[in-house]
Amino acid sequence: MKNSPRLWAGFALPGTAWLLALFAVPFYAVACVAFGTIDPIFRDATPQWNPLAWDFTQAQQVFTSLATGPLRGVAVRTILFVVCAMILCFVIGFPIAYFLARHAGKRKLLLLVLIIVPFWVNYLMRMLAWVNLLSADGLFTRFMRIFGVNYNWLDGSPITVILGLVYGYVPFLILPLYATLERLDWRLVDAARDLGANSGQAFRLVTLPMSKAGLVAAGILIALPMFGDYYTNDLLSRSPSTEMIGNQIDFFLNASTQPQNGALLVIALSMFLLLFMSFYLRSTRMQARQTAR
Amino acid sequence: MCRRDFLRNLAITSGAIAIGGSIIASCGGQSTTTVDGLAIGTPDKPIKLPITTEPIADGLASESGTLEILNWADYQNPESISIFEKQFGCKVSTSIYDTEEAAIAKLRNGTFKPDIIIGMTDTGLAKLIAADILQPLNKSYISNFGNVIEGLQSPYYDVDAQYTVPYMIYGNGIGYRTDRIDKNAFTENGYDTLWDAVHSGKLGVLDSYRDTLAMAMFRAGNFDANTTDAAIIKKAGDDLVAMREATNPKVDILAYQELSSGNRDINFTWSGDLFTALQYLPEGVSPDVLGFWYPEKTVAKNDFMCVAKGAKSPVLAHQLINFLSDTDNALLNRQYVGYQPALESITVDLLISTGTIPESLIEALVTPEKYDAGLAQVLLEPAVDSLWLEQWTAFTAG
Repeated sequence: MKNSPRLWAGFALPGTAWLLALFAVPFYAVACVAFGTIDPIFRDATPQWNPLAWDFTQAQQVFTSLATGPLRGVAVRTILFVVCAMILCFVIGFPIAYFLARHAGKRKLLLLVLIIVPFWVNYLMRMLAWVNLLSADGLFTRFMRIFGVNYNWLDGSPITVILGLVYGYVPFLILPLYATLERLDWRLVDAARDLGANSGQAFRLVTLPMSKAGLVAAGILIALPMFGDYYTNDLLSRSPSTEMIGNQIDFFLNASTQPQNGALLVIALSMFLLLFMSFYLRSTRMQARQTAR
Repeated sequence: MCRRDFLRNLAITSGAIAIGGSIIASCGGQSTTTVDGLAIGTPDKPIKLPITTEPIADGLASESGTLEILNWADYQNPESISIFEKQFGCKVSTSIYDTEEAAIAKLRNGTFKPDIIIGMTDTGLAKLIAADILQPLNKSYISNFGNVIEGLQSPYYDVDAQYTVPYMIYGNGIGYRTDRIDKNAFTENGYDTLWDAVHSGKLGVLDSYRDTLAMAMFRAGNFDANTTDAAIIKKAGDDLVAMREATNPKVDILAYQELSSGNRDINFTWSGDLFTALQYLPEGVSPDVLGFWYPEKTVAKNDFMCVAKGAKSPVLAHQLINFLSDTDNALLNRQYVGYQPALESITVDLLISTGTIPESLIEALVTPEKYDAGLAQVLLEPAVDSLWLEQWTAFTAG
């Protein structure tokens, strides 16, 4: 049994190797492109593999642009879109997860499957379907006209992009949230009610605090891909007024002569997302401590 | 990725490499602009490319193996290829490329080993020559070369067409719905039509910084599509921002779909897109709803076919070039591709009389005269290119 700690640590090896090969090494390659050079003849990115020789001139320009230049608007808009989409995801997803965990009874599994099955269809396919539904002569647009709503959904509207993000990511919020809520000790809520709390107070003072870890995990799970999302905007808008940081990364990497800028934006975005991850890790650690007590 | 992505990337690569530098080298008796080791031709300074290897000998028999083509997706008619296979008793295999840069990178490292490369442009040619990937053509196999538009039989990027034979031509202009916009609007307002707030939410421009910024420059009366003047570039950027605020334009390469479906009234786009748009019209909608305004001064371009240096079937490659330069074969190929072959024999009258193009799209056809009057986009030096990109970012970042 003396060797058991090493044995258990050994189980982490495949995961560690996986992370190294598919995260650390690719991320290092991105950094090497970001701080590398451009081939003077063929104009493609030439990675600088030696960190001691990294050139930060371009990085300075990109970060300045993010802080005070043209990219600032995109960065702010991205944050705004993601925050709005997350709020809507919580508003839609929490009641569903709550209902499934608390009141679905024997139909729980069936309802869960019914909610999730449509999302087995590829994300792009679902968005393309929405493009058809929302087009000028699309079913949804025609249906809304019955109620006097004659809205051009595809005219580059931020609302359409935010709703697209919500539609695309809400199931990824429901699932982890449901997993958390399902494990809650509902007797504590009953106890709160017995002690005089009304349903609102019981929810606010008992259910919500107990769900915090699930909420944070679900929030992180949808926020991370949403911040890098570009295809929702590409499919539903394509207007500069809804441009997100992911679109700029796509442009610089695939459609410009400055692929370095794309790599630098990936790094900037990753640094920003690290804040989220730190918050998540801190929350889970605190939760673990509270549970231990 | 399809033809439209290619065109977007073409404009990108046009911005990729330096023209500035102004190191004038003597090459085959012509003045040539070279920068960073890349020799490029411009309309003012055509280039005769150096010959580093001999073309294939005259009168060789066709190879019996497989002809390997490297081409854009959907940029050749499968029916045309079948006919070629039967006629020459060979098999044809096609590899697809997404961007010129990626294709050249794969040609350099040997991932692609084609016999014939189709759809590259002058900017790509400079790199192909620098990487020593092409072999000179033996015109004795290309008897249809005389069909090529006369002005392109010795293009500025390859004087005497030593390495290339033009494939398709196109120009930049404005596609519109004739059932919503009177064509006289363009006579009266020209490019200003794109700034008209009445089209808000129903307007698109090309997702190509060289093309769209150049269009804004033309509107302002500056007709240098390769300007290095920071003030002119800045003004074009500012004008696009004004357009964005007035019309909330879409920035993409989907004019062919969006005009056909009626989602848009108007779109700054490539002329060839309007021919493709015909295939996307909903059932029962007349082709006459599509119109095109071809500005008097605008960008006109072409791409070409060429043979790879390490080709295993160089004779077949030459024969395919000859085959696609035949008028009837080119017409058949055009039916699928949509774009307009760079052949003198494929006239406006011929295309209209065969009924493949509606009269409302006559303007979208690039005649030799239009091509000659067209403005060329050439490579920009990196510092200038950055200025263009900066303005494009200011526009697209909203």
